[in-house]
Amino acid sequence: MNQMNWLPQVPPPSVPSVPPPMPVAFSGRRGEFFDLVRRGAGLEFVTLGFYRFWLLTDMRRHLWANTLVDGDGAEYTGRARELLIGFLVALAILLPIYLGYFLVGLEAEHIQAFASIPLVAFFYVFGQFAIYRARRYRLTRTVWRGVRFWMSGSGWMYALQASLWGLLVVSTLGLALPWRTAALERYKMRHSFYGEVQGGFEGRGWEFFKRGWWLWLLAPVAMYVFPLAPFVYGAFKAVEWRWWLSGVRLGGVRVESSLPRGALIGLYWKVIGWVVVLALVFAAYLALSAALVASMTGAPMADFFRSQEFAKSIPLLALAAVGYLAFALAVNVVIRIYLLRDLWVKVMGSVNITGIEAVRNVATRGELAGALGEGFADGLDVGGL
Amino acid sequence: MAMDREAREPASSPTDGLATYFDGASSRRRAVTLGLSDQLTIREGDRTLAAWAYGDVRRADGPSGILRLSCLSAPALARLEVRDAALAARLVERCASIDDNTPGRGGVAAVVGWSLAAAASIVAVVLFGLPLAADRLTPLVPDAFERRLGEVADAQVKTMFDARVCDNAAGQRAFAKLVTAIRQAAGLDTSVQSGVLSSSIPNALALPGGKVYLFDGLLAKAENPDEIAGVLAHELGHLKHRDNIRGLIHDSGASFLIGLLFGDITGSSALIFASRTMVTSSHSREAEQNADSFAIDVMHRLGRPAKPTGELLFRVTGKEGGKGLSILASHPLTEDRLARMSREDRAPSGPPLLTAAEWRSLKSICDAKPGDAKPGNAKPRDTKI
Repeated sequence: MNQMNWLPQVPPPSVPSVPPPMPVAFSGRRGEFFDLVRRGAGLEFVTLGFYRFWLLTDMRRHLWANTLVDGDGAEYTGRARELLIGFLVALAILLPIYLGYFLVGLEAEHIQAFASIPLVAFFYVFGQFAIYRARRYRLTRTVWRGVRFWMSGSGWMYALQASLWGLLVVSTLGLALPWRTAALERYKMRHSFYGEVQGGFEGRGWEFFKRGWWLWLLAPVAMYVFPLAPFVYGAFKAVEWRWWLSGVRLGGVRVESSLPRGALIGLYWKVIGWVVVLALVFAAYLALSAALVASMTGAPMADFFRSQEFAKSIPLLALAAVGYLAFALAVNVVIRIYLLRDLWVKVMGSVNITGIEAVRNVATRGELAGALGEGFADGLDVGGL
Repeated sequence: MAMDREAREPASSPTDGLATYFDGASSRRRAVTLGLSDQLTIREGDRTLAAWAYGDVRRADGPSGILRLSCLSAPALARLEVRDAALAARLVERCASIDDNTPGRGGVAAVVGWSLAAAASIVAVVLFGLPLAADRLTPLVPDAFERRLGEVADAQVKTMFDARVCDNAAGQRAFAKLVTAIRQAAGLDTSVQSGVLSSSIPNALALPGGKVYLFDGLLAKAENPDEIAGVLAHELGHLKHRDNIRGLIHDSGASFLIGLLFGDITGSSALIFASRTMVTSSHSREAEQNADSFAIDVMHRLGRPAKPTGELLFRVTGKEGGKGLSILASHPLTEDRLARMSREDRAPSGPPLLTAAEWRSLKSICDAKPGDAKPGNAKPRDTKI
């Protein structure tokens, strides 16, 4: 019925001496994911955003479970309640931090007006810490063949590295980005484990640079020539994914990706197209509700608009706010379908794995990590999938 | 596909079937036969690996088309995978509590209910709790802290408006006379500091810790001492009510709570900003109204008319109605303020606050260095009076 529904055959028990590269399959139906995010967006609307923890968990469960490596699907064992509690605890911790930030800022301002602005850097470092800890949570909730992934390392060490590299990237106008990414991935992957098998990362910054330097040259142009931007960004993401996947190691397991440079550009254009359509619908909705409110006040339409009475009408403002929330959530649905699900399927479809037999008998190890990192990431607005 | 292999395997009873088992201790994939007797037995060849009680069996997330099971009394990550639909159906039939732990079943109503309750409580706290908390907390803020805040704000104001305090001696004397008269009528002690700033923006400010600044631009638009006296009395009203501290507590609380509500919906920052502006400006309008009442009261006590101040404001801003969203404005509309000051106006009964000569010196207080004041680029609507 759908080619994504194809299930790989269970490999025969007698393994040939040199196993061929193993592709990664995805078994989830697009319609199922669409129903999931559509329903989730509706519930986010009703709950003013609180449903996000449940929606995020459901999306992860769907994507994890339907990603099949060596014939077996992974599993996401995280639960929304953990995310909610993590978020609440993170808020309780962030509140005094914000207060302290305010007081320290006050002292800095006392010495010199606007001297507190560099303190924002603290939140950048803290955001990097949150990113590391959130990854740790996700990884420890990832299970394949009854064995979980886990992660060691220190979130603060990572934040320190990420921030210092970040300074270098800013001072080189982005040229150092490949080396930053490589260094950070090395740290993350070296501290990632599947059971007792340690991960690693062999991607070199120089390789990334060789594949992407022309995009760096095009980026300033794309900032002025808008239609160029999705091409440049799409190509950059494809190059980054391919380089990153091809560097990932897990014990003797090697990952290779053959993602073409142009593979993701179409997805970005589809998102842009849908956002334009949704914006038109939103504009039509605004016009319609303005006409409706005008007709209810009884004043002639032209007067209503000329006197700018409409800008003060509470019912119209309420209608506009509701419409805007619906618009924002619809854009979210589009982004989740194309840039999360479709991108995931495209990227995973480009992957070939060799040496999978190295993880066919791995003993379990590692502890579960708390969801506090995810809570910080949510509170600081640095969260990803 | 499982069926034809089942035919080759020696099936011990008609209810048995083939499945894949992961024991949760290692990633080894085991082809097993299932025995569906009084409990679920999992056998590899002749060896029984595990026996699961039907009541403990739970569904785990699996790829589409595969039934994946876990068991409460087995290792947490032990998994049994059944690909044969008929066998899966028979298993589901026997495991009565299979879906008890599946997320999202029946829990959605609870999530929606609790979210709405949380949203309602946040809105209630923002609308009713925060003003109350700000009122109660403001007297608890130490004066020393408020003065420190004021010094910081002082440095920022001077940097922002690129201004200095005007110090023409005759003007300074006239200004001191005017401020002292108003201060005494207002019942404030000598800790109040004041000055005229060399900025062409028509404005006046009250800073935390008891400092009032009149901008030269407003002085230039004034036609008599009563107009300026009302403005100064209004700013002293802010000081007397400690509106800065109250506003600080109220606004930061509102920002935090409203940010909580919408969370990470893409584009929600616009919504957060809009609702926050609405809440904080309604609070600010109330404070402005109170300061106006205070100013009218002080002018009455001095035996001077209140209306001129309203006229000065009207001269600066013009008619405001219809120019913007009145529910987003931080001040009441100027025409309303003028109307109120006219309504409560009384004929002068006391002596003029300044002589004609003193008024002339005050008007030229910033003339020591002509050309110092820069042309302001702020729109009249930005007035903080």
